[in-house]
Amino acid sequence: MSRGGWRKRADEDGGWGGRGGYMAAKVSKLEEQFKLDAPREKQKEGTSSTIFRGVAIYVNGLTDPSADELRRLMMLHGGQFHVYYSRSKTTHIIATNLPHSKVKELRGEKVVRPDWITDSIKAGHLLSYLQYQLYAKQKALSFPAMRVGHECDGPGHSHQQFDHTQHQPGHNPSIRRHANKKLDFRLNGLDQTAGLRLNGIQEEESEDETLHPAPVFSSGALVERTLTNGHSHPPNGALKPLDLTRGQTPMENGPHQPPVLLAGDKCAGESAHLLRSGNHLASLQVATRSSFDQSVTPVPTARPSSRDPEHPGLLARGAGRVWLNGAQRDTAQGAASPPCPPVDRRPADADIISEFYSRSRLHHISTWKSEFSEYVSSLQHRRHKAGGVDFPGRERLRRQRAARIAGSSAPSGPPIRQPCILHVDMDCFFVSVGIRHRPDLNGKPVAVTSNRGQGRVSQRQGANCQLEMQYYQRKLDPKRKEERDGDLEVTPSPESPDGANPQSEQDLAALSMAEVASCSYEARQAGVRNGMFFGQAKQLCPGLQAVPYDFQAYKEVAMAMYQTLASYTHHIEALSCDEALVDATRLLKELGVSPEELAGAIRADVKERTGCSASVGMGSNILLARMATRKAKPDGQYYLKSEEVDDFIRDQAVGSLPGVGRTMSCKLASLGVQTCGDLQQISMSRLQKEFGPRTGQTLFRFCRGLDDRPVRSEKERKSVSAGMNYGIRFTQVAEAESFLTKLSQEVQRRLQAAGLKGRRITLKLMMRKPGAPVEPAKYGGHGICDTFARTVSLDQPTDSAQHIATEVIKLFHAMKLNVMDMRGVGLQVQQLTPSLVGPAGTAGGTGAPRRSIRDMLLAQRPPNLDSRGSTTALPACLARPPDGDPLWRLSDATDPSAPGEAVTSDRDRDIASVRLFPPPSSAEPVPGTSKGGPAPRHNGGLHTPRHLRTHLDLSIEVPSPSQVDRSVLEALPPELREQVEHSWRRREELAVSRGPLQSAPSQPLASPPGTLVLHVPEQQGQGGPAGIVLALPDFSQVDPEVFAALPLELQEELRSAYRHRNGTHPQGTVVEAKNPLLQLKQVAAAGRTKRRYKRKNASPAKGVPSPLKSRLHGNSPAKSSPAKSSPAKRLPYALKQEHAGGEMKLENGPSTSSLKPDAQEKPVKLTSRPGPTLAGACEFTDIRTLLKEWVTSIPEPMEDDILQVVKYCTELVEDRDLEKLYLVIKYMKRLMQQSVESVWSMAFDFILDNVQVVVQQTYGSTLKIT
Amino acid sequence: MTTLTRQDLNFGQVVADILCEFLEVAIHLILYVREVYPSGIFQKRKKYNVPVQMSCHPELNRYIQDTLHCVKPLIEKNDVEKVVVVIMDKDHHPVERFVFEISQPPLLSIRFVSMILNFYSDTLLSHVEQLLRAVILKISVCDAVLDNNPPGCTFTVLVHTREAATRNMEKIQVIKDFPWIVADEQEVHMREPRLIPLKTMTSDIVKMQLYVEERAQKAS
Repeated sequence: MSRGGWRKRADEDGGWGGRGGYMAAKVSKLEEQFKLDAPREKQKEGTSSTIFRGVAIYVNGLTDPSADELRRLMMLHGGQFHVYYSRSKTTHIIATNLPHSKVKELRGEKVVRPDWITDSIKAGHLLSYLQYQLYAKQKALSFPAMRVGHECDGPGHSHQQFDHTQHQPGHNPSIRRHANKKLDFRLNGLDQTAGLRLNGIQEEESEDETLHPAPVFSSGALVERTLTNGHSHPPNGALKPLDLTRGQTPMENGPHQPPVLLAGDKCAGESAHLLRSGNHLASLQVATRSSFDQSVTPVPTARPSSRDPEHPGLLARGAGRVWLNGAQRDTAQGAASPPCPPVDRRPADADIISEFYSRSRLHHISTWKSEFSEYVSSLQHRRHKAGGVDFPGRERLRRQRAARIAGSSAPSGPPIRQPCILHVDMDCFFVSVGIRHRPDLNGKPVAVTSNRGQGRVSQRQGANCQLEMQYYQRKLDPKRKEERDGDLEVTPSPESPDGANPQSEQDLAALSMAEVASCSYEARQAGVRNGMFFGQAKQLCPGLQAVPYDFQAYKEVAMAMYQTLASYTHHIEALSCDEALVDATRLLKELGVSPEELAGAIRADVKERTGCSASVGMGSNILLARMATRKAKPDGQYYLKSEEVDDFIRDQAVGSLPGVGRTMSCKLASLGVQTCGDLQQISMSRLQKEFGPRTGQTLFRFCRGLDDRPVRSEKERKSVSAGMNYGIRFTQVAEAESFLTKLSQEVQRRLQAAGLKGRRITLKLMMRKPGAPVEPAKYGGHGICDTFARTVSLDQPTDSAQHIATEVIKLFHAMKLNVMDMRGVGLQVQQLTPSLVGPAGTAGGTGAPRRSIRDMLLAQRPPNLDSRGSTTALPACLARPPDGDPLWRLSDATDPSAPGEAVTSDRDRDIASVRLFPPPSSAEPVPGTSKGGPAPRHNGGLHTPRHLRTHLDLSIEVPSPSQVDRSVLEALPPELREQVEHSWRRREELAVSRGPLQSAPSQPLASPPGTLVLHVPEQQGQGGPAGIVLALPDFSQVDPEVFAALPLELQEELRSAYRHRNGTHPQGTVVEAKNPLLQLKQVAAAGRTKRRYKRKNASPAKGVPSPLKSRLHGNSPAKSSPAKSSPAKRLPYALKQEHAGGEMKLENGPSTSSLKPDAQEKPVKLTSRPGPTLAGACEFTDIRTLLKEWVTSIPEPMEDDILQVVKYCTELVEDRDLEKLYLVIKYMKRLMQQSVESVWSMAFDFILDNVQVVVQQTYGSTLKIT
Repeated sequence: MTTLTRQDLNFGQVVADILCEFLEVAIHLILYVREVYPSGIFQKRKKYNVPVQMSCHPELNRYIQDTLHCVKPLIEKNDVEKVVVVIMDKDHHPVERFVFEISQPPLLSIRFVSMILNFYSDTLLSHVEQLLRAVILKISVCDAVLDNNPPGCTFTVLVHTREAATRNMEKIQVIKDFPWIVADEQEVHMREPRLIPLKTMTSDIVKMQLYVEERAQKAS
């Protein structure tokens, strides 16, 4: 018996004191059951007594004897047993053990050990519970409180005890003991008094119910009879209460005012009246009529609150109607009761969620759909197993038809060839099931609802029914839409002149909020709608009969319906417990009957088996079938023939399309769409814009009667969720958290039940709308809410409650909402995958196992690689062999952005460019790899280092030990490793001896002769938009070869980065940055140009200088702005000349003297960014000029130059600038083929062949050169 | 333009919008220029300030629209490498492939900084428009460099995606029942292809080159 505190909320504090439709109905139903069971039990047992008359117990926690046993005992001995604790009705709480929080919460209640019951039975009379109370102290506090009031008002005790026939002997001592506290309690302890009085009421009421044939009033009425005290004698008649009150009089109104008790069996009219006047918790208005009952002395009402000395006057006798405001007995129910312990209302308490779901009957019904789906699929499964199956219904129909055909010569109509879907829907299912054994209700307006009374309940504090009504009305009324600004306006009070009719609104407020689950067609004619509140419905249709839920019957009937359908075919899709789709295409073909015949047969069958009528709509697709059903209802059938579809659907309101609810029809109405015909006028793109791609398309199709959803007996689950928006009231974050945890467990349960795991978790919260009443009109409901949702995607699908809870709580905190305003919580898990999938399948994240192969394949490919051809590029960088040169060096990675530099040895032996990837970047992404990437490669010595450090640290610059992956290091060749380690050691030494490296004086270190050491450039010199490109090395230091080998994306990235950087520099700098080599050469070879030309001229090749080269070395536009803007570049160069002059010579020597190919190529390589350039020329016109010069000025092309051009063209291909390439080629073709020298033609052919190879490799086809 | 705030800047989307609009114009024009459909169904319109031809055949237009509708999300994510308009002969062997090779600057951060600075300046957009206009003009004269197609040609649109994009494409169907399917090998590959570059455009937001692959022997 773990009854959590949440239920206690039911009748407690802060507005929860009043009773709304659902709980009230439930409790009273339980009581009814109890009453019904009691006589039976008594009969069975043979012995019975009335020992416990007036005692109503509630069992909390585990007890011995068990709660069931106690229930039986109470039945036998005239007591009441409450399944739900009610502060107002329950007199005793039976418990053996209570946690501290509950003790606090139950302060003021009688918490008794179960022995009390058993002992009392043994003793044969009701023993005082005092000896059995669980916590003496608690009792002591509460009890005197009650008495206090009496004492100070008059000679209470004697009176009371005198009057109380069932008075407990133990009372007095306890009271007296605390007599000294009385006054205090009296003053600020109204609550306790109230609480106690409740107990009294409780007894009274129970007596009332059991003993009196008098109408049983709903709680609102009952509480009116509040005058009795704790264990007072129940007012059995008009006189008795009077006596009783008289006994109490002194303490209430003073001896001179004989009070009247509003009790007794004739209260009917009275209480109805009371109700109408609206029993609001905050300002309870109690109307009494002095002349209310002739049999009772016509005296003014005595209200408990009239003890208040200020009020007696109001109670003047003869007052026709007395309205009293103030803390009345309602306070008893909680408004003023001890500050309501939060424990009370913790939905997080106990297993509320699983309990909620295991007991929520409506939830239960909603699960039936899946049950029936399962049923259908199990049928199909069975059929597969059996190999064949009999369809009794089908057979019967076949026979009938055969008989009919035999009878009449002509077949009744051509069988249908096109698809035919039947939509079978029971006619107002709940109602017809509810009254199938009650023919007397046939043809009468009937509604299924939980409220069985007058359709009225009292209103609770904090609830503002009108506001909500108005809100909903406004929401539904599109015409007034513009008035609604999303927030709630405070509605005018009933008294205000613009309020239509205070009285009627008052009425409205008091109407039952129990929803009409279903109503008969007769009721619908009167305007009653499903989902309407019962009170309202009752107003519309006063003759409305309420029928209770009968869940067992629903299930039986639904099952019968499905069985009927299954006797025809197994192509059934269960939509809910009372409707199903049947794909009858094959069935009709097989039987050769018309859809109408089939539908008729089905309907007759259903009617026969269930006694309830069903309607059948038929159409060529699901949508049409469903819409036809609307027309078929009630108890009919309609076949929407395909030729009628267009006309039919044009006139349908958009709201009748499935999936178009209020919100969407409002939205559509704002677009001027009322009917499907209107909707047809709207383009799909518009719809998709308004409603999203999916919905838009669906609407587009639906309004044309197009629907291609198949009838599916099994539907794939898209999500698993659990949510609760009933009774959510938190006070603390911790409660909400624990509730979320519980909800996660529920979700876990469901996920596991479905064998699924999900990756996306959505938390949906309903929060009280700002300005909405704290208490919604519907008891425990959520009222007007804003909905918030947050979603998180997990790396891996999960079904673990813990995991889900952590994520959800994170989301919850991120939303930063006030827990007090939470009204509903929902959890949804999407992107489901079967949980059976092994880890391999799930690891990829897609979850679907069939993808895993592809995933693996993809994973094997280096990231960022283009699918085309460049696959080898990156490894090429990495795997560049040492080229016979052992002089590999680890490059410095002090610049964190460029840790991934390539070590490539230059082709030129003696110019060993030293570069290495410290960590092979494909396997080990290092910071910056993705960005700066392995791009920077230094051209051995060609570019002047700006930092002397290089020279100091000549041989090795390695990342600091911490930055090096050990495993990578170990994978290096031994020599290399040694070097790295050596350098670390050295660095340490250096650091120790000289402090920061940067400040180290220039001091050439011993380096192997003939080597040139490169270093990673420092970026500090870079001004400009440092923010983004800080990490990039100077452009000049990028080796185009390495660059070209990079994946295209990286290339682009770098290029744009450089472009960006350059963009912010003055133009001159750009050029310089682009073509630093030129500048370098200029400096180096400033005076040598002539000589070079001379040499060149003298070279065996030809006497004419190649324009390409001359351009390179002399005519480059870069020349005009040599390094002006970057003196830093020149300086180091000079320094370098000094320090590493020898090395430079090695480099410069060949290039100046003999123009070796590599020296020539370099410029090209280096000038290739941004966008390929030929000898510095980038623009097509420049290229053209250059080419023209080249071809016209020298009679015979040199191989180097040709190679350069090829290189350039290759780069154009790689740069995806085919247009330019095409132009260049065509231009060259023209130039060269026109040339008199056939060598030029050959040169062109050579170039073209090479280019075609590249193009072929890249694009899979060759250029068409015409 | 001033109403747009930083949050509105979704470059992928802007690029996708621009490109899809362009592609629609280009496809119509290609169909016209390459005489895939009778010229009667085409109407002269003005786009990018130059005359273009657009089909008035609703189903053809729908196909093109739907296709681009599906391409758009891919472009937004920079998943598209090429959009190819394949013109096939009666035997469904491609005779011409108009390849729009698209690459967007991938470095988000850089794009962002530089874009925010100048994206919404009209200069950039008008620059892009100029470039697109050039491509369109190139298409309208491409028949000069291409051989005539055999009669009875059909066309289809292929999209070459980068790496993993296909996986997501299967999941997200923008238009129901208009799914992507893997292209037939024979649609993709052409016998003896010859490549004719038409136009390359390079702008800050997108780089695109258009070239035509043409079967050497069209008649066969």
